[in-house]
Amino acid sequence: MAAVTGASSISLLRSAPQQFHQNLALSRTNGLKSVSLAGYGRSSLSFGLQQRSLRLRVSCAAKPETVAKVSKIVRKQLALPDDSAVTGESKFSELGADSLDTVEIVMGLEEEFGISVEEDSAQTIATVQDAADLIEKLIEKNKA
Amino acid sequence: MGPSSAPRRLSGMQKQVLSLYRGFLRAARTKSAEDRQRIESIVSIEFRRNAKEVDRKNFLYIEYLLRRGKKQLDQLRSPDIVGLSATNVSFSQTKAPTH
Repeated sequence: MAAVTGASSISLLRSAPQQFHQNLALSRTNGLKSVSLAGYGRSSLSFGLQQRSLRLRVSCAAKPETVAKVSKIVRKQLALPDDSAVTGESKFSELGADSLDTVEIVMGLEEEFGISVEEDSAQTIATVQDAADLIEKLIEKNKA
Repeated sequence: MGPSSAPRRLSGMQKQVLSLYRGFLRAARTKSAEDRQRIESIVSIEFRRNAKEVDRKNFLYIEYLLRRGKKQLDQLRSPDIVGLSATNVSFSQTKAPTH
């Protein structure tokens, strides 16, 4: 494990001091993550990515950008005006989506983010935040 | 059915319908942009129409629609089929096998 951390990522070491008491556990999980980061090549990106993976681990919350992107697709799919209030907490059903709309939204998200959502997880998505969280989880998984 | 604010608890049959719908949309993705749009529009109209018109307790009929839909989906999946206007639009007629 230590070998993996040491060899594949320098940027991880840089952020280590910020990790306070969780230091040990996190650096270990990060060691795993770093394998996927290494494939990235662009060092400017890797810092942002790493921040997210840290946050994901702690609170499981998706990035605001993802939420915004999901909201945009949801608006488009439901033909809502651009200025309508769609936030992370918005429930699809409250936005007027029936179950068929929800299937369409999930399909639209799959295409937009280049992921594949399994049927079981697709049916547990109720809010924009749910969708964003799931997307980030799947993107992470794809990179690993 | 429809917009309820409680966490959706779907019956097995509803899940089957949604899964079929997903299957159609997935199959449509493999067609050309033009065909795809046409297929999506027909499928969406057809599902919504049946969702509205068919009594949700009419299990026999829904099961029949599901079976029919699955067959149509199988046909649509084949690469040389580019649309289903002939199958789905003429809803009341028995569809002639296309091969």
